[in-house]
Amino acid sequence: MSYIEFKNVVKRFGDNTVLDHIDFGIEQGDLVTLLGPSGCGKSTLLRCLSGLEQVSEGKIILNGRDITDVPASKRNIGMVFQQYSLFPNMTVEQNIAFGLKMKKVAPDVIEKKVADAIAMVELTGKERSYPANLSGGQQQRAALARSIVTEPDVLLLDEPLSAIDAKLRRALQSRIREIQQELGLTTIFVTHDQDEAMVMSDVIQLFHAGRIEQAGSPVQVYTNPVSEFAASFIGSYNLLTADEFRALTGDTVDDGHMVAIRPETIAVSAEPLVDDAAYVVEATVVRNVPRGNVLRYTLDASGVEFRVDTLFRSFHLFDDGDRVFVALPKHDCLRIPMEAVGARTAA
Amino acid sequence: MSAHSKSAPRGKKTSLGAKIFLAVVGLYLLVPFAVTFIYSLFVEWTDILPSGFTLRNYIELFSNATFWASIGRTLVLCLVSVVITIALLLLAMYVVVAINRKLGNVMQFVCMIPYALQGVILSIGIISLYTGTGTVLSNRMVMLFGAYTILVLPYIYQGIRNALNAIDAEMLIQAAEMLGCSRFRAYVQVVLPNIVSGILVSSLLAQSIVFGDFVLANNIAGTNYQNIQVFLQANMDKSSGLSSAIVVIIFLVVGAVTALVLKLQSSARKTEKE
Repeated sequence: MSYIEFKNVVKRFGDNTVLDHIDFGIEQGDLVTLLGPSGCGKSTLLRCLSGLEQVSEGKIILNGRDITDVPASKRNIGMVFQQYSLFPNMTVEQNIAFGLKMKKVAPDVIEKKVADAIAMVELTGKERSYPANLSGGQQQRAALARSIVTEPDVLLLDEPLSAIDAKLRRALQSRIREIQQELGLTTIFVTHDQDEAMVMSDVIQLFHAGRIEQAGSPVQVYTNPVSEFAASFIGSYNLLTADEFRALTGDTVDDGHMVAIRPETIAVSAEPLVDDAAYVVEATVVRNVPRGNVLRYTLDASGVEFRVDTLFRSFHLFDDGDRVFVALPKHDCLRIPMEAVGARTAA
Repeated sequence: MSAHSKSAPRGKKTSLGAKIFLAVVGLYLLVPFAVTFIYSLFVEWTDILPSGFTLRNYIELFSNATFWASIGRTLVLCLVSVVITIALLLLAMYVVVAINRKLGNVMQFVCMIPYALQGVILSIGIISLYTGTGTVLSNRMVMLFGAYTILVLPYIYQGIRNALNAIDAEMLIQAAEMLGCSRFRAYVQVVLPNIVSGILVSSLLAQSIVFGDFVLANNIAGTNYQNIQVFLQANMDKSSGLSSAIVVIIFLVVGAVTALVLKLQSSARKTEKE
C-alpha cells in the first residue's frame, strides 16, 4: 500500500470531467511531479488532495486513512500556492507562526521552530518584513517556510516558481529539492515545465486531458514516451508518420503507429557516415538556430523535415543549404501509437 | 538628444499641467464655500464688498441647544446606519467569499437596487409599508435608521467588494485553511484586517451621504428626530446669514470626519510598512 493513494478519483465541474478515474499511488518521501499542459487537471488533483476541492467519485487515502471527506484544515497537508498567498498584514515570522498558533503549539516552541524555518529558507534578517517588501523569490521562500514549519504529512507545491525569473527559479528548484530531501517530506509538485519536472522529481506523472498518460522516473519518461502526446510534451521529439519514416529511411512502421526520435540522438557530419546500427541519409540544412550550448539544425531529407541538436562547437558548423550526412540510430527510433487528435512536435 | 532625455521635460510639463488643472478645479469647488463663509461673517452684502463684520450668526448658533442636538442626531444616524450596514455586509460577503462565490452576483444586484431608488419613493414606500403594522418596524426611529442603512448599502458594498477583490480574499482563506484554520476564523483573522482601509473609505463616503440627506429624515421623522439638514431647512426663512453659518458648520464637520478617517488610514498604512 502506498503512502498516498488516489483510487478512481473523478472530478467534474458541471458536465466537464476534469479528472477521469485517476488511480495511482505515491511512496513516502518521494517528490512526485504532476506534469502537463494548462487545463489537464493536475492542479485540480492537487486541490482534491488538499481538501480545497471535493472529489465527485473515488477515494483519497493518506497513510492508510481515508481523507476523502476530511476538511482541508484537518488534513495536516501543507501547500504553497502559485501566488504564495502570504498574509499581507503579517510579518514573515507572523506568517510562518500562523499555522503553529492554529495548532496551539507553546509560544517558546513556536519561536524556535519559526527561527529554524527562517534559517532553512535563508530569510534571516527578513523576520520583521511584510510580504509587500519582499522580492518574489523571498515571498516564495517565506511561503515554503510557512508550509513546512507545521510538519505536514505531505507538502503540495502548486506551480510555486512560475512567477519567478529563470535564474532564480533554477536556484529555488535546487533549494526546494534539498529541503525536501533533508526533511524526507513527501512532496507533490505541479508544473507545466518539463525541464523543471526533470530536475526535481523522483517520479513524473504526465497528465493529459484529465488522465495520466505516463508515469515513471524522469529518465524513463524522457527516453521511453508511450504515446504521441508524451513524446511531444517531454523533450522535443521528432515525430514522423509511417509515410515520412519510409521516405526518410526506407523502413516500415506498423499501422496506427508513428516514430519518435530525439534530436540529440541523431549524428550529423560533413563526411559520409558508415553505421550499420543507424539509418544513414543525406540531407540539406534548412536552418540553424543556436539555443544556448546547443545548436539546433532543421534538416530536409527526401522532403521530410526533422531536427538535430548538436553541441555548439565552432569547428563543426553548417550553413543553411549545406549538404550533410546524418545517422539516425535504429534503437532510438521509437514506435509509438498515434493519437486520433494529437499535437505534432513542438519546437 | 536621446529619447530618454527628451521625455523628461515632457513629464515635468504634464505634472505642471495637472497641478494647474487641480488648482482650477479646487478653486471652482471652494469658491461657493468661501463666499458662503464670508456671507455668514457680515451683516449685509449688497455691494461689491460685504459690510458690517460680525460673529453674531456663529454665537447664536453655538448657543442654540437645538443646533447641537441636530448635529448629535446626525452623527448618531451616520454611525448607527454605517455600522449596521458594515456588519451585515461583512457577514454576507463571508458567505460569498468562503462558501458560495456564485452568490456574489445576487449580492451585487441586491446592493445596487438602492441606487435606483429616489429618496422620496424610498421614504414613502417605507412609511406606507410599515406604518400601522404594530411591530417594532412601525416605529419611526427604526424606519429612519433602516432607511439610512439601505441608502448607504451600495456605497459600502462597493468599497468592501473592491477591497476583498484587491487582496484575493478567497485565496487567503484557502491558504489559512491549509494551515489548520477554520474558514470563518480565517475571514476574521486574515481577511478583515486587510480590508480595514477599504471599509474606512466607504464608510467616509456613506457618512457624507447621510450627513447631506434631507428627504428621508424630513419625510420619515420630521421634527421628531431633527437632523442637521432638517434644522437647516427650519432656519432658512429666519436668517440667510444664520443659514450660511449652518452650511459652513456642516462643511467643517464633514471635513473633520474625512480628515480623521484619512489620518486613520494613513496610520494603518504606516504601521503596515514598518
